[in-house]
Amino acid sequence: MTDERWLHALGQELARHRLTPDLTHHVVAEAAAHLRDSGQPALRAFGTPQGYAAAVVESLASQHRPPRRPPGRVRLRASQITKRYGRRTVLGPTDLTVRAGEVAAIVGANGCGKSTFLRICAGLLSPDSGEVVVDGVLGYCPQNGGTYDFLLPEEHFVLVGAGRGLDRARSRRLGRSGAATLQWEPARDTQARHLSGGTRQKLNLVMAALGDPDVLLLDEPYQGFDRGAYLDFWQHVWRWRDEGRAIVVVTHLLNQLDQVDQVLDLTPGTREAAA
Amino acid sequence: MKLLTVAEMALRELSRRRGVLVLLLALPLVCYLVRHDQVGQSIRFLLLGLAWAVSTTALFASGTSRHIEPRLRLSGYRSHHLYLGRLVAMWLLGLAVSTPFFALIAVDHAGEVRLGALAAAMVLAVTVAAPFGLLIGAVVPRELEGALILLVTISLQMMIDPADSLTRLTPFWSSREIGTYAIDYTGPEYLVRGLTHGIVVTLLATALVAVLSTIRLRTRPHLRYAPR
Repeated sequence: MTDERWLHALGQELARHRLTPDLTHHVVAEAAAHLRDSGQPALRAFGTPQGYAAAVVESLASQHRPPRRPPGRVRLRASQITKRYGRRTVLGPTDLTVRAGEVAAIVGANGCGKSTFLRICAGLLSPDSGEVVVDGVLGYCPQNGGTYDFLLPEEHFVLVGAGRGLDRARSRRLGRSGAATLQWEPARDTQARHLSGGTRQKLNLVMAALGDPDVLLLDEPYQGFDRGAYLDFWQHVWRWRDEGRAIVVVTHLLNQLDQVDQVLDLTPGTREAAA
Repeated sequence: MKLLTVAEMALRELSRRRGVLVLLLALPLVCYLVRHDQVGQSIRFLLLGLAWAVSTTALFASGTSRHIEPRLRLSGYRSHHLYLGRLVAMWLLGLAVSTPFFALIAVDHAGEVRLGALAAAMVLAVTVAAPFGLLIGAVVPRELEGALILLVTISLQMMIDPADSLTRLTPFWSSREIGTYAIDYTGPEYLVRGLTHGIVVTLLATALVAVLSTIRLRTRPHLRYAPR
């Protein structure tokens, strides 16, 4: 990897970590100056761009976290949700309250009811008891499926956009710009069945967010994403949060949990929402 | 607008399944050719093949959409946008498939059949078959079971004695009656009976699809939206 490519990759990584453009430029310029002065190749001097960016971000984290708006009104309140399949209790009494401008992560082992809880919150599945109150428009991204094999991405945007009351041109524009923020440019002639698993999930995610829903329910939407797309996904989440949306993400990846506002652990015995 | 968007996307999706389109045309054609030496039988079989092809397509279209419709409901669609949109798509597709067969018979048996009545029989076959296929799809969520139910229905329709009163309970009896009117130059009572039967079956199947879809895609009572 040439130094130029390394510096470019560093800039992209820093942007994914949400460093401001000025700060990104400053860090890249400092690294370039160091390389020039030392004459060392970038990989030997700093390691991988990803690793160096992570180290820089970590050292700056305490000083450069973007200012947060205070959470707004309650957008989603799930109270005393329970669910059984036959004799098996999938969900014990579970509560979750998410306000505008908050991100809640639902975590837990496989089979502990994470997707079931999200489907109940979306109204796609009935609980045995409890209720869900939603203030605003819901957007839902399923774990898999949710697309038509033989339709093009743009046709999916038009289909969902029509449901949201958007005209075709606006649906396509919003879909394309949503895709671009996930580093994806939908080809005009590629049907959904020909998309890779990760790209298909990007399509799913863009569809869920189309029309600016107030509450976003995301069921492990990053499956199949590469590392870059995964980071871009979380940047999306932070941006939606800053825009005042309430977001619930089902996840089993724990490395972003320190940045979410609350964690609902559905592992049996730990049914608590930790702020 | 929403209904038409659903119909458009259903048609776009189907139009890209080239294998399905070929088979959709091949099924009635085979039914027609296998009894080509007998005018009446070949046309009756073609009508049945047409109904079979359209209802099977509707069944599979219903299965394809089953996992996507909940998210479309959340995206602002009402249940009726979804099932009526799909129904309109199946009707349009069925009419498109019927047209070359109508032209084929018009050329093949010019002057031997009442072409106007034949067109009515084809339209009615498609009209009944689309909601019937959607109904099977709504009742039986698994496609294999649905396909087998359709196979049983069509087999029954093919094998049952036309004089048997039970034949009126079969879904595609209407096109047979109108077919008889068109081919055998019978009295108008055949046309009236066929039209009545076809309209009743269409309305009944559509109503059942509406009820089942509305139940499946209903907003669950535990979910309340705060007043805005």
